[in-house]
Amino acid sequence: MTAVRACLPWSIAALGGAALVAAPWLMGEGALRFLSEAMLMLAMAEMWNLLAGYAGLVSMGQQVFVGLGAYGLFFASISLNVAPFWVLPLAPLLCAGVAAIVALFMFRLREAYFAIGTWVFSEIVSLLVSKTDRLGGERGVGLPTARLIDPRWLEPMTFWISAAIALAAVIGTYALLRSRVGLGLMTVRDNDMAAASIGVDVWRNRFIAFVIAAAGCGLAGAVSFTATLYVAPGFAFDPNWVVAMMIIVIIGGIGTLEGPIVGVIIYFTLREALTVVFGLSAGWYLIGLGSVAIVAILFEPDGLWPLIRGPLGGDWLSVRREPPAAARIAAAAPAGEMRSSPSGLGATPSDR
Amino acid sequence: MIWVETIVNGILYGGLYGLLGVGLALIVGVMRVVNLSHGEFIVLSAFMGVSLVGVFPWLHPLALILPVAAIAFGLGMALQAVLINRVVTRPDPFAAILLTFGVAVVMRNLMVEVYGADLRHLQAGRLAQASTGIGGLQVGVLPLLILGLSVALFTALQLLLTRTRFGRIVRATADNRDVVRLMGVNPGRVYNLVMGLSLALASVAGMLLAIRASFSPYSGVERLLVAFEVVVLGGLGTFWGAMLGGITLGVAELVGLRLDPNAGPLYAHLLFLVGVLLRPNGLFRVRT
Repeated sequence: MTAVRACLPWSIAALGGAALVAAPWLMGEGALRFLSEAMLMLAMAEMWNLLAGYAGLVSMGQQVFVGLGAYGLFFASISLNVAPFWVLPLAPLLCAGVAAIVALFMFRLREAYFAIGTWVFSEIVSLLVSKTDRLGGERGVGLPTARLIDPRWLEPMTFWISAAIALAAVIGTYALLRSRVGLGLMTVRDNDMAAASIGVDVWRNRFIAFVIAAAGCGLAGAVSFTATLYVAPGFAFDPNWVVAMMIIVIIGGIGTLEGPIVGVIIYFTLREALTVVFGLSAGWYLIGLGSVAIVAILFEPDGLWPLIRGPLGGDWLSVRREPPAAARIAAAAPAGEMRSSPSGLGATPSDR
Repeated sequence: MIWVETIVNGILYGGLYGLLGVGLALIVGVMRVVNLSHGEFIVLSAFMGVSLVGVFPWLHPLALILPVAAIAFGLGMALQAVLINRVVTRPDPFAAILLTFGVAVVMRNLMVEVYGADLRHLQAGRLAQASTGIGGLQVGVLPLLILGLSVALFTALQLLLTRTRFGRIVRATADNRDVVRLMGVNPGRVYNLVMGLSLALASVAGMLLAIRASFSPYSGVERLLVAFEVVVLGGLGTFWGAMLGGITLGVAELVGLRLDPNAGPLYAHLLFLVGVLLRPNGLFRVRT
């Protein structure tokens, strides 16, 4: 029985992997494109969740990295005249570099000021790109080097890369949060004064999270615009990128790794239901999803995941640290303080 | 001479920017909440102005400022009472940011659906073109009038907060919302009034800006960013600082446009970033 149980996660993973590899042969082109979009959105939402849910940094300017990643890829691919997927690693590198510089002065701002400061930075980059004729100005640029890829393979490759990015985002944030840096981030989030007093470097941990989130959003943005073969400042630096990330994370459950997964499923289900089934315009689905997010913040600030995790078998990706047995006995009752429970939006950690 | 004129126009324009920001500075000072739907309310009041002009075509748009401000006051009270008061006491500072951001998303898209995405403009008739010569400079009458109105509103706000009983209650609530309860003050109700006041001020700025520049449902983002930059540059929670911050941004924007005609608000944004880099506590911070 225990042997079966130990094998179960691996067999599920193997089946899932096989399904992902085979998906392009099983599905139509539309469904494939839809899934790619959802995967990329999941990766971006995990990045935003890493910032807002763990590092205490609410960035309203995360779209700047989506756009920079896309422009970096287009520019590199066109000027080197190679297929876009070969220069894909340049996009996250560019974004990480920019984020490292931006963090130096943005980290002087706290909370809401950081949120809008990053937004202003995004507007500045968007305006600068709109004014630069070499990058296509306001009209944007196409991706002629896409012809270097066999058109039959463009859609499946985009799908596989998107799926790999989504997996890497989930597993990567999981690994990061289980590491020393992650523990540092969570102690800062739960009580920054106590964390600083035991020697946690608040600035350094946040810096690492910010750079990683920028790289992740840049990578996802680059793939997203490769799929459309066209990029323009109005789409690349659209605040609706961060609106989507925020809505997904809030509905699913901020400060949990499973939350964005649940959120992406709800976001895209609602979007398809409202736009395809009821035939509503894009504006109405944003109104609907925005309202759902408002209701969630008011009445269920921890999102949907804490409500459904019980029936689904508890936390799948727990980053909670258990104290060693000896410490548990010594600490007796107050061991609850060691839990790295998500602070959520409202309640104090001791509420759970 | 052209530079002097640009700077004078920047100052006049900046007075309006100060008015965009002062409502935000008020709620930041009193409840330490940044209302991310501030820009959307500015645009909404401009749309209300356009609708009212359609109903009462014989009235001058400037005469419609009062009814629009009254509606905005009511909307502000409702927003605070129904939504923001529920999260303002939570220890997590992000709840209010995310909540008001959600409100902004819903409002922006509702305005797109109701009014359409086209650029609009509020017509002020002959007044918009009239100009007068002061010391050899040609200055528009309307911008002068707008600056005068801004200064009057700033003064009124200052007097309201420093000289009246209501102002004393607001300042006490800002200092300590738990202690004022002991004096029989309901902080939630004070917040309702302050948010009403904040959005009423925003609506005046929104109407005046709609006369000077065209707008669409998507302009809210830009208005919010300007308002926020005014608050930060001016020093958080100070009113005359907000006025100076607005004037600085107005001059930066018009000088920037003179140097580089398709720059838009680029130079104002850059000035803000440099300002934050050099002085994170604001350019004109005076401790009150």
